[in-house]
Amino acid sequence: MRKQRVRKHQESSAPLPDAVRTLVAWCPDWPVVALGYPLDEPVAVVHANKVIASSSAARQAGVARGLRRRVAQSRCAELEVVERDEAREARSFEPILVSLDDITPRVEVTRPGTCALAMRGPARYFGGDEAVAELVQQRMGEALAGRTEIRVGIADGPFAAGLAARAAKPTRIVEVGRSPEFLAPMSISVLDQPDLTDVLVRLGLRSLGTFAALPARDVLARFGTEGQGAHRLAAGLDERPPDARMPPPDWSVTTEIDPPADRVDRVAFCARSLADELHQRLEREGISCIRIAIEAETEFGEVLLRLWRHEGALSAGAIADRVRWQLNGWLNGSAATRPSGGISRVSLLPDEIVPAKGRQLGFWGGETEVDERAARVAARLQGQLGADAVKVPERRGGRHADEQLVLVPAATVELRGRSLAVDHNNPDTAPWPGRLPAPSPSRVPPSPRAAELCDAAGVMVTVTGRGLPSAAPAELVVDGRRQPITGWAGPWPVDERWWDTDEHRRRARFQILTADGQARLVTLENGQWWITAYWD
Amino acid sequence: MEVAEQTQAIDKRARLRLVADRVAPLALAQERTLPVLESLAGLFPEGGLRRGSVIAVEGIGATSLALAVAAGPSVSGSWTAVVGDPGIGLAAAEEAGVVLERLLMIEPPSSGSSDKSAASAVAALVGAVDVVMIGPGVRLRPADSRRLSARMRERGSVIIRVGGIDAPGVDVGLRIVESEWTGLGAGHGLLRARRIRIETQGRGASSRPRAGALLLPGPQGAPIALGEKAAGEKAAGEKAAGEKAAGEKAPGKLRALA
Repeated sequence: MRKQRVRKHQESSAPLPDAVRTLVAWCPDWPVVALGYPLDEPVAVVHANKVIASSSAARQAGVARGLRRRVAQSRCAELEVVERDEAREARSFEPILVSLDDITPRVEVTRPGTCALAMRGPARYFGGDEAVAELVQQRMGEALAGRTEIRVGIADGPFAAGLAARAAKPTRIVEVGRSPEFLAPMSISVLDQPDLTDVLVRLGLRSLGTFAALPARDVLARFGTEGQGAHRLAAGLDERPPDARMPPPDWSVTTEIDPPADRVDRVAFCARSLADELHQRLEREGISCIRIAIEAETEFGEVLLRLWRHEGALSAGAIADRVRWQLNGWLNGSAATRPSGGISRVSLLPDEIVPAKGRQLGFWGGETEVDERAARVAARLQGQLGADAVKVPERRGGRHADEQLVLVPAATVELRGRSLAVDHNNPDTAPWPGRLPAPSPSRVPPSPRAAELCDAAGVMVTVTGRGLPSAAPAELVVDGRRQPITGWAGPWPVDERWWDTDEHRRRARFQILTADGQARLVTLENGQWWITAYWD
Repeated sequence: MEVAEQTQAIDKRARLRLVADRVAPLALAQERTLPVLESLAGLFPEGGLRRGSVIAVEGIGATSLALAVAAGPSVSGSWTAVVGDPGIGLAAAEEAGVVLERLLMIEPPSSGSSDKSAASAVAALVGAVDVVMIGPGVRLRPADSRRLSARMRERGSVIIRVGGIDAPGVDVGLRIVESEWTGLGAGHGLLRARRIRIETQGRGASSRPRAGALLLPGPQGAPIALGEKAAGEKAAGEKAAGEKAAGEKAPGKLRALA
């Protein structure tokens, strides 16, 4: 029923078949604002060591997006560098969205800091684009309370509307049907597809208008579906042709939560399996979802619905993240907007779907599906057991069993497509002289165990200044138990970091084989014997 | 009208799926196994690790053997997770053949004797990674073990336990009955290789006991199979060679001074 109505509408508005009139409201520098910093202080938000957002004060000092952390700090000495917090960005955007709820119930979160509304209903109800734009400015301005400005752009299609919002001071309305003209003079780089625009610039196509003037068929033939999408955007159309719209409603999935959950992590856990289920169903049909509606209902019937868009396809993990963000904002919001009961139902409704182009997974190394699964379970266990509970090996330099390879928290590295190959050009990981050769000990206890190495007369063995043992070891005493020694070799003395008084270590290593068949690496340091590793 | 067409299309698709299920090729037993290193293949009746099985190792050298068993799937692309055993020698794991890029070390916070968080960690890992290694310090309650093994059969993961070979639910038990190091003399030489004899026990296809001799770790850390008969001679030869090589390879005392 719903579907038919939409189709009819599309047919009636013939000149622009699918560009939905859209309002985009954009809060500049949201990652900075969300973290609670005023914009007149120099602040930069970094992710993966790159600046992704900066305050206006920092921008004046030359800190731009895409700079590395060090470069940014060198340009502005008093710059405060903070790590990105996506969950917080989404959470603090939620109260702003709530202020728009009585304009339209279907607010789409493009990304935290940017939201979009379809204009058809609101424009008719409030009497025109200007009225809605003014209302949005006013509502959001109240909710933001001066933390940042709001820019509102209205145009045909979310892409043009987004650019209108960027050009807005503070409101920019592109008249119906004038989006292509509005877009034409803009630089091709606004498409945000570096690989494609690089080629286009080299072909002499520097503005959206010149690109849009190319025949669509030729663009598709030369640049594939990606190029086609970009071409449609440049021409003021929606990125995807209209037939990819509105799935039949039975693709939605719902879970009842009983008893109702009042904590976000419990809901998020249910949402995770729900997202997996949805993902599997869509995958089986060969489609992927680029916009999803997440609907949560409390035991007293309050409903919160949000639309989330993603540039690529929404993966199961991304959907679960968005559920958590949405509910975090709702459940921890101000008293006026907070629901009165626990969440009893969560639904995921795929809103816009496209044929899955499929992600090409690596055949020779690179990212594969098993890597993806392992990375997911690692993330899940970090959530369950704590961030430090999941570790992965990393190569470091050193001469001892516990120094060459160390464990680091999995959260600090990218698990997919990692390489631990020995790099002979890197002095840290190239083979160190003075290492004991293979086979390496199979057990390296986190803390070494004290022991005693005695000669035949029961006197503790020491190592002379020339690196020779005082006597042949005959007995190893561990925890008061004496073990006769059947084979030994050493010492291999190591004198490390003698230039540093704090880290200076002098050790002598022995391989000791006892009568019970156990081989151990025993180390003498500061007159004390330690069992540092053993071969089990 | 359109809605009717749509339901019809969905209906057709559902029927097509039924047919597809019926004509889908059977999963052969071979495909239901994970590969092991060639030197260990003789210990398993299928020549590989049957998916969904629990393997336990015991004796002096159990850790090395567990790592060697895990190495086979790891080399061929599987992920390995180690639960509750932070003391594993990573260098030894690498030498045995475990690919460290695909290794997760899980240290559940300990809580009492039978670990609930360890059990939930293992349950989460089963199905996401192919090989889960459980350290000797982790004790699972029988109820947890039962639930796990059901999940494993469904998801096709393999559990390798260090210790507890006689515990219920173990499909293949590998017991190291003899182990002897070569290469180390009285004040000279270097640990070179260890000759071990393994006897298997188990249930189902593995109920017929098997035996094998290995150098584990071998001179480079990776296991090397020894013929049952020739084991003695080979080990002796290896011993001589090992001592010779060790003499050359031992790090010089002065060179080690940094």
